[in-house]
Amino acid sequence: MQRPSSRTVVISIALVLFVACCLLPIAYLLIIPLGSGTIAYGDLRLDARQQGLLRNTTLLGAGTALLATGIGAPLGLALARVPFTRKTLLRVALAAPVLLPPYIMALSWTYLGGTRGFVATLVGSDVIAEWTYSLPAAIAVLSLVFYPLSMLAAEVAIRRIDGRLEEAASLVAPPHLALRRITLPLAAPGVLAGALVIFVLAVSEFSVPGLLRVRVYTTEVFTAFAALYDFGRAVLLAIPLLVLCLVIATIAVTIVGERHVSTNRGLDTGAAVLADWRRPAGAAALATLALALALPLLVLVREALGAESLRGIVEGSGRAIANSLLFACIGATAVVGVAVWLGYARARARARVGQLADVLFVFAFAVPSTIVGVGLIGLWNRPGLLGAVYGSDAMFVLAYLARFVPVAALAIAAVTRYVPVSHEEAAAVSGAGWLRTMTHIVLPQVRLGILIAWVIAFVLAFGELGVSILVAPPGEATLPIRIYTLIANAPPSHVAILALLQTAVVLTPLGILASLISRRPSPRAQGLPNEADGRVAR
Amino acid sequence: MRRFTQRLLFVASVLLGVAGVVGCRSSEQSQRSEHSVTIYVSTDRVFSEPVLREYETQTGVRVNAVYDTEETKSTGLANRLIAEKARPQADVFWSNEPVRTLVLKSRQVLAPYRSPSAEGIPAALVDPEGYWTGFSARIRVIAYNTKLVKGDDAPRSVFDLADSTWRGQVAIADPRFGSTSFHVAALYATAGDVKMDDFFRRLKANGVRIVDGNSVVRDLVARGEVKVGLTDTDDVNVAIEDGQSIAMVLPDREGLGVPVMPNMVSLIANGPHPEEGRRLIDYLLSSNVERQLAQSEAVQIPLHAGVQGPKNIPAIETFRPMTLDYTKAASRVEDVTGRLAAILGL
Repeated sequence: MQRPSSRTVVISIALVLFVACCLLPIAYLLIIPLGSGTIAYGDLRLDARQQGLLRNTTLLGAGTALLATGIGAPLGLALARVPFTRKTLLRVALAAPVLLPPYIMALSWTYLGGTRGFVATLVGSDVIAEWTYSLPAAIAVLSLVFYPLSMLAAEVAIRRIDGRLEEAASLVAPPHLALRRITLPLAAPGVLAGALVIFVLAVSEFSVPGLLRVRVYTTEVFTAFAALYDFGRAVLLAIPLLVLCLVIATIAVTIVGERHVSTNRGLDTGAAVLADWRRPAGAAALATLALALALPLLVLVREALGAESLRGIVEGSGRAIANSLLFACIGATAVVGVAVWLGYARARARARVGQLADVLFVFAFAVPSTIVGVGLIGLWNRPGLLGAVYGSDAMFVLAYLARFVPVAALAIAAVTRYVPVSHEEAAAVSGAGWLRTMTHIVLPQVRLGILIAWVIAFVLAFGELGVSILVAPPGEATLPIRIYTLIANAPPSHVAILALLQTAVVLTPLGILASLISRRPSPRAQGLPNEADGRVAR
Repeated sequence: MRRFTQRLLFVASVLLGVAGVVGCRSSEQSQRSEHSVTIYVSTDRVFSEPVLREYETQTGVRVNAVYDTEETKSTGLANRLIAEKARPQADVFWSNEPVRTLVLKSRQVLAPYRSPSAEGIPAALVDPEGYWTGFSARIRVIAYNTKLVKGDDAPRSVFDLADSTWRGQVAIADPRFGSTSFHVAALYATAGDVKMDDFFRRLKANGVRIVDGNSVVRDLVARGEVKVGLTDTDDVNVAIEDGQSIAMVLPDREGLGVPVMPNMVSLIANGPHPEEGRRLIDYLLSSNVERQLAQSEAVQIPLHAGVQGPKNIPAIETFRPMTLDYTKAASRVEDVTGRLAAILGL
């Protein structure tokens, strides 16, 4: 009997981990109502009110995905193609809004635009309060939080495009046509992956719409848990939400299809630099920073200045900060460790299988965090070894695996599709095994995408609350848990200080990481062979 | 090959290091569990944490506390207790309103325990079957902005909020969650469905703002975005102590009675440390803890006679509480949630 290849073994292990970590908790919670026979299938029929809520949710998700992509994708293009000075600093600053908790961002906007907010005080009358509490405002707020995801996805996708294609196009067509006909279509899979993630994040939100008085369907699921304590009903109510995400994902993957996105050239083949765009792109970046970062931070700082003492608020947060950093690091590494193989498998899968995988990833990511949390409790809170794991900090890592492997796999799959299959074939012909090909040929070409996936997983893990609060070992907490348990009945000044603390804590290691990466000289600067010939720089 | 081996050794070292860190933390946790008690707390952390730290200091027993968020931020610890029922991690549950506790009792998550510290607490606030004991109560109040509303003009009854005087100037928290869900269920149980359905329809027509928490109601009133709102005593007191333009009225002193919400403490069935759990319950029900909570910003009203109450809040003997069967009120929550979702367009 022929031994299975290393590729089969590795991808099978990744699939088993995906099923065990991501799908089993969801399946467990479906089995309970099915097994008990208490399902009221009538709950699946939505009444007129619930249909209206689902419409609102759809508009919120679609509006946020479109607007966030409209803001983020051009910024990603600018970061990939425009020769900014201090690009690393600019990238970190532009990515920072996603580090702030969405609820806190929404809160800062109400301080700004409410009836007695900053704008009303400045102008002398209430001019924008009605807009502040509305669906368009919720879309705007969430877009300003989530656009960095689109920006990072777009930048990675565009940097993978062979610059010679754009240069060749620019010989016969104006730059904007080359952009429209060459760059954007090739970047579409990556940009679309980012948009899908944003859509799911937006429809999963209920605290931001709640604060801005927008009625959304997600609150129905939340109500079944928080007001009625009915797990079976909550799971059933989640189904329309999941179907919505599946429909959107199916439409999206159908539109993009299996475009051929790679060439026979390798990576970093001399991007077409858009030097003429530096000023307008710079202005757009600064305007985005002002609106998405500076303004909310100023509002939060203004509120924070009202606090009498900083020490009392921050004191006692040391362990929570350490927990958050440690578990987010471990979690992001574990997530990427599984997702890189799943992403590769998806990128190399046949068209139909690949599209099915995309839909499955979106489904797993769209499941409400409470369902995942209760499922994890059911699976792990048992006597013996499973129970020993349940009472430990490992549950944080399991929670992050359950929530974020799908989104990391989507991101890595999008960037892996740019790696030519011919490179692997050439390595195989030369006698290299699959693992050696992966470590020497494929993974180096997607290392930027892996790094971005790690950063996204780290940011999402750091801010995760819904599952963490259900599975955190008693006596342990992460910073978001500490913050959200403290803000109940804390004055606005204390809330602002804690939000600024969370931003500083997560921004610091990312800034250091970005700074370290930007200091590494490029292969060309070292006089080493560049990767245009397909050889990997040593 | 050599480079591959080096990389493999590096990765293995990192993994071993991480496993070591996690393992040490788990070992530390299991050592701590020998003299420890685990409590899940739905009462606001800013008020409950000092009480539990004091218990640790006095007894040397480590308290592993799991705190809750506001009811609209996450689905809460009651769901965690229900999910963990087959193998409980908690020994004690401390709730800040009755609904959660009574749901847990109905799901057989709790165990009966009659604490000697409960002596002196009014019988109406102690479960006859011993599954919960009330202590340190809050009151549902009408908050008003002192710059926009004179004290004499403030509404005196919940039903006044539907008057045209307050059109577009009333805020309440989402009645499906938290203490507001208890309050509306109590109103339905006491005043009847017909009267309450009519009230909420008039409230809706009066342009009531439904927001996502009692603290948001307080903030809207304090900032003057609305003139009045329904919230809790501790929420308003935090703002008063912060120097904001807000005061409160105890509603329906002449009518239905003032809605009183006790904290409730319960023993978890089959918890890992039942003896430590009972001792912690005895401590929480003591006059000392009630005094501590009364004197903190929580301004919670002691139920033991002779314990000095909080400033800014009338003593419980000076007003007529709503006569209420807590079990009956809790049983109305699901039905009332559905009614209000339709009436208020939630």
